[in-house]
Amino acid sequence: MSILGMPTGMFLVFVATLVAGSLGTAHYVIVHVIMGQPVDETIREDTPAEVGENV
Amino acid sequence: MSSVPLQTGVGEVNPVYLGIFVVYLLAVLAIGGWAYLRTDDVSDYWVYGKELGPTLATWSYVANFVSAVSVIGFVGSVYGGGYSIVTGIVFGLMLGISGLYFVVHKVRELNHITFPDIIAELTGREVARPITGCVLLANAWVYLIMQLVGAGLLVTTITGVPYQYMIWVIGGVFILYTVMGGLVSVAWTDLAQGTLMVATVAVALAYMVFDLGGLASLNQQFMALDPANVAPLGDGAYTLIGVAASIVAFFGTIFTSQATVVRINATDSIRTAKFHLAAAGFILSVFYVMLVMLGAGTTVALNGAGLAVENVDRAFPVLIMEYVPTTVGTIIIVAIMSGILSTTDTRLHACGVTAAHDLYDYFVDGSADDEKLLLVSRVSTIGFGVVATAAAVNPPGTIISLYNWRAILLTSALLVPVYAALYYRDTSGKAVLASIVLGAVCGPGWNALGEPLGAPAAFVGVGMAILGLVVGRYAWQDTTSASPGATPSDD
Repeated sequence: MSILGMPTGMFLVFVATLVAGSLGTAHYVIVHVIMGQPVDETIREDTPAEVGENV
Repeated sequence: MSSVPLQTGVGEVNPVYLGIFVVYLLAVLAIGGWAYLRTDDVSDYWVYGKELGPTLATWSYVANFVSAVSVIGFVGSVYGGGYSIVTGIVFGLMLGISGLYFVVHKVRELNHITFPDIIAELTGREVARPITGCVLLANAWVYLIMQLVGAGLLVTTITGVPYQYMIWVIGGVFILYTVMGGLVSVAWTDLAQGTLMVATVAVALAYMVFDLGGLASLNQQFMALDPANVAPLGDGAYTLIGVAASIVAFFGTIFTSQATVVRINATDSIRTAKFHLAAAGFILSVFYVMLVMLGAGTTVALNGAGLAVENVDRAFPVLIMEYVPTTVGTIIIVAIMSGILSTTDTRLHACGVTAAHDLYDYFVDGSADDEKLLLVSRVSTIGFGVVATAAAVNPPGTIISLYNWRAILLTSALLVPVYAALYYRDTSGKAVLASIVLGAVCGPGWNALGEPLGAPAAFVGVGMAILGLVVGRYAWQDTTSASPGATPSDD
């Protein structure tokens, strides 16, 4: 059996690739756009100037 | 990797293509000049003043992602090995983008600039900065060579200007505009180049599909050339374990690229950081499916027209020159050049940031002011660019082989220790560093030995990194652990 001229197994690999790349898209659209859940914007103001040298 | 003789023979200079290329170079130089005026300090140069919005971040990521590898290397790989590249490489890359989306807040909330910054904090040791910096520089430098080889091959083929001259013209222009405007230059040129590239590849694929009688017909002809072309594992050409290792290696590169981390830290919020990966994941997965099918179309067209090539990296340039009409060829050239050069500038920029922020600051002058660091960034960008251009004159391997090598290096060295430490902040800093060093040595080392015992280098590298982390976690559990950080999230 072939889909779009290629074997089903190969077609499924293409589909899996599209799905794999779209997982984040789907999460963002469902959770943050449709459900309206805000993104936690906890970004610290100041980064530590320099960590201790322990080696 | 062995040196690859490039077929750099040229015909007559094509004034149309050469003219287009010159206009293109002048346009990016103009953007570089404009960005120079907008770059006030080292923060602008390195991370766009941390004001990168969603649209700019998304398209900058897309444009950076699609490189010479994508256009020339991937099309060449499909030409030589069929659709199996989707199983082994593209799937891993796409899964990686989505995976990074789910952990990107952990990176952005730390509010650093570079990847070594994060690792220095996680390990509690400044020495992590140069160790990681060396791994990242090696990756960025190999990536630069790949880009320049791809660009040089393409432009030489289409313009007729000899490769050894063209490579220096391309290298010179991109060093110049990256040095002028830093991430401001890079982001804005990427926005233009990214959108152009996706649109034009769609047009090119549409042309090829129409020309070859539809998508199903294209795939049937591709299969008729060799049934292995449409087999997920290349009809036995690749083993399941080999493909799994490839997926792991390329999945890991998404998390461990300095350019990606710098861009994440340049975003104006965590929402933007998440959005740009969410949007880019969708755009890139569609783009790569189109690109791989364009590779199949190229294979069918060249074989049907008696234009078969020996060096697979030349498949796409030959298609443009010998098969498609000039108008369509011009569109494709613009797309390819956009893809290649938008990645080149990002990697050049990443080299400069790493050299100044992670190496100079540690080894030479820890109290250098912003002006000094900006100067070091610019000078090191020039230095790395010139050396990479010189190496590209006689590259050490095909584009796809270089691409594989740096994937093994990055993933082996950095994927496991860094992201494990982000979630398990009580991990000993020594264990994280030991894991990084073990992975960096064992992955590429195993690859250099020719992957004995049939064990893929990515598995050996990642396996040793895990071993180093686990053993070190118990051996050094009483020593200084990762910094607790200011506000690590719970998830």
